[in-house]
Amino acid sequence: MLQVKNIEKYYGNKNNVTKALDRISFDVADAEFTAIMGASGSGKTTLLNCISTIDTVSAGDILLDGENIAELPAAKLAQFRREKLGFVFQDFNLLDTLTIEENIGLALFINHRNADEVKNQVGRIAQKLEIDGVLDKFPYQVSGGQKQRAACARAIVAGQSLVLADEPTGALDSKASKNLLEILTKMNRDMGATILMVTHDAYSASYAGRILFLKDGRIFNELLRGERTRSVFYHEILDVLALLGGDVSDVI
Amino acid sequence: MTLFKLSFRNACRQAGDYLVYFVTVVMVTALMYAFNGLIFSEEFQTLSQMLRSMPAIIVFASIVVVGIMSWLVSYTTKFILTRRSRELGTYILVGLENRQVARLFFLENLAVGGFAFVLGILSGNILFQILRAVILALFDIPYHFIFSFSLRAVGLTLLYFMPVYLFAQLKGRKRIRSMKIYDLIYFERQNENAVIGKSSRRKGVFAVSVVLGVAGTVLLLVGGLLFGIVGSACIIVFLYGFFASFSSAIPAWFEKHGERKYRGQNLLVFRTLSAKIAEMGVVMATIALLFTATLILEGSGLTIQKLFQNRIAFLACFDVIISAGNPEAEEFTDSVAYVKDSIPVTDSRQYQVYRGETSEITDYLENHTEYYRYYEKDILMRASDYTALREMLGYPAAEPGQGQYIIHCQPYLAGLLEDWAKPVRSGGYTLVPAGVHTETFAQYLWDVNGQGFLLVVPDEALQFGTVSHTMYVAETAEPVKEEQYNFLEEIMEWSMDSELFLFVKSEKEAEAASMMAISVFPLYYLALVLTMTAATILTIRQLSEKNRYRQQFALLRKLGMERREIVQALKTQFLIYYAMPVVPSALIGVSFILNFGSGAEPGVLVGTSHPLVIAGITLGVFFMVYVVYILLSYGSLKREVMD
Repeated sequence: MLQVKNIEKYYGNKNNVTKALDRISFDVADAEFTAIMGASGSGKTTLLNCISTIDTVSAGDILLDGENIAELPAAKLAQFRREKLGFVFQDFNLLDTLTIEENIGLALFINHRNADEVKNQVGRIAQKLEIDGVLDKFPYQVSGGQKQRAACARAIVAGQSLVLADEPTGALDSKASKNLLEILTKMNRDMGATILMVTHDAYSASYAGRILFLKDGRIFNELLRGERTRSVFYHEILDVLALLGGDVSDVI
Repeated sequence: MTLFKLSFRNACRQAGDYLVYFVTVVMVTALMYAFNGLIFSEEFQTLSQMLRSMPAIIVFASIVVVGIMSWLVSYTTKFILTRRSRELGTYILVGLENRQVARLFFLENLAVGGFAFVLGILSGNILFQILRAVILALFDIPYHFIFSFSLRAVGLTLLYFMPVYLFAQLKGRKRIRSMKIYDLIYFERQNENAVIGKSSRRKGVFAVSVVLGVAGTVLLLVGGLLFGIVGSACIIVFLYGFFASFSSAIPAWFEKHGERKYRGQNLLVFRTLSAKIAEMGVVMATIALLFTATLILEGSGLTIQKLFQNRIAFLACFDVIISAGNPEAEEFTDSVAYVKDSIPVTDSRQYQVYRGETSEITDYLENHTEYYRYYEKDILMRASDYTALREMLGYPAAEPGQGQYIIHCQPYLAGLLEDWAKPVRSGGYTLVPAGVHTETFAQYLWDVNGQGFLLVVPDEALQFGTVSHTMYVAETAEPVKEEQYNFLEEIMEWSMDSELFLFVKSEKEAEAASMMAISVFPLYYLALVLTMTAATILTIRQLSEKNRYRQQFALLRKLGMERREIVQALKTQFLIYYAMPVVPSALIGVSFILNFGSGAEPGVLVGTSHPLVIAGITLGVFFMVYVVYILLSYGSLKREVMD
């Protein structure tokens, strides 16, 4: 599904070059839930931005469903994003002037789907994510958890191939975080959504099936959950983080 | 760095959004000063007696302007306070007392106000010179630049300006002093959470207000005092009802027409718009009301101006006109003698205007067009008099042949009279029509060359005709002086002859110029201030939404919406936002102007003075000012959001 091949990303000019990503390669299989962890400045967000076509790579290739993002002409990028990618942001990024239904439908609306299709698909996904009771409410009238579910619904409603989640639990309390992570797991397990989540929180990462650890722009380690319980997996993550030497305060 | 400097620097950084407001305050101050300059100018007091009432009218207009400016300053101060509340809250958070921050805000605004006042006075001087040049041109006096700086005008402007500014700033100061840190820091958020209502009552209000709007416009078009008052009341209720309920009506409409919601950019455009109007519905209605008032003031001003100009133009072919039912009356002979003796006359003629034997043409006009009948019978003139008068006026020769008659009429009757082909009888002769002439011929008022028209017949056909009145007309070498006119009027003052009539071109022109100066200019003054105030508030609101637009733009781009589509949605939304208060105002304003113009006597407001043309010019002038604000706002939106 997603193939990242030897990508590099440099910032700055001739005299002062910062290497944000350094020959990173990995694959994400269809219906896989992958987390990317790392300390601040490790390159997590840069990686996500490159995959989401918001930023460009300096070298290397990113292939989604066999299509090379780096070779896409600028005019095709918007179309690529709206058809293939779904986003879940830390601060929800819902438009406060639209109802929850319209916010979810936005992904279909920008794909020029007709009104009936929008209504049906939004209704279907909202029911699965248990927010069908708040569809006619505005974002400021619902809880943080409900907002985040609406953002998740928007990310998959149009049948997007890959859901990119950037610190999705960052603005939520522990209960709402747990809820959201269960929703992401449900989306992955029951609906077959492929998820790539960036987080610095070990608890959040423990919901993923695989974790890539980034340090100084490189992949430092990789953990696979396999058949282990989430609790065991969580402790393994903490061990890796201890090795990484950072973010200790985040995991205690 | 003192805190004042820090805060002032912060204010300057945000100044871009409020520059429009600052410029408007400067312009309103400049207008105030320029008009106050007229009050204290001795030059204008001596121009005409009528101008002596000008100060009172300007003071009255300025009081209205003070009211409007007060709303602008209060509204904007409150708005700036909202936008800067987080910054001011932070000052309190780091240890400053409310009292100190309130003082800071007060002083900062006072400094900005003071600067605006000084700039306003300086630009007011230029505006005063322009106003002076226009008024002098109206009185046909050559303009020479004379530097004038009236301290009394500055004082009066300050007297208007200070309470407006101080009141708004003191209110802001009081607000900060009584606020808690939490309120200040989350003040902005509280506003953002304005409820977008969905109550069914609001939907009802929307439907009723639209019905009232249509009814009000129809009533204004029908005309009449009672209908006018009821119509205006309907319009006011419509504007407030419409804007208060608009934000609820949109979701309701979307619920009913689900398929249209996701068509084009409808969803983004109307949702953003209804959210904005939910926040500023009452303000939007007030703005629409101000725009309506602007169009009514400008339209009335222009109509009055055209009425005065045209009424005089219909008679102004002669420098002096004296007419009387009885040519032997002392008043008539004395005044004609006075003109001959005291005024340098280059050409003159005394002649009779006759009552015809029939009233066929008068009846015909009365039945076919709007025509004010004054004479029972058609009015006639001898061909010899007509020829001499045409020669005196420099018109090409025209004379009826044997057995013919010519019709001379006002242009608005020409079409109808050209279709008139029947013969008329006079003095035993049967005469056939031989053409229609429409040069200006003093036919506007009754006791002159006919009411709207007269028939020119061969002299023999009027050998035994019945005289209606006697006319004396003259062309003078120089304009008749005010004292000469006063003398003539004194002669006529005590006359019992109701048909005695005096027209002196120079005097009427001065009277029209004075009327312009005391009625039309203050109307324009008010109209300009209303437009600028309303457009400023609209623009400040639009500019302050930049961040929200930027975030929306970024999110939609991330979600994969085409840039072209987002820009299209932003532009549509922008245009609808600026059009919304104007559309009802334009409908109401144009209805009013057409109705107001239709009240004038027939034939005066025709051609380029037609009420439709006046309505067009009014809208044109209004949009000239409005478009400046729209362009300023669009420039900022394009620069900071779209690019």
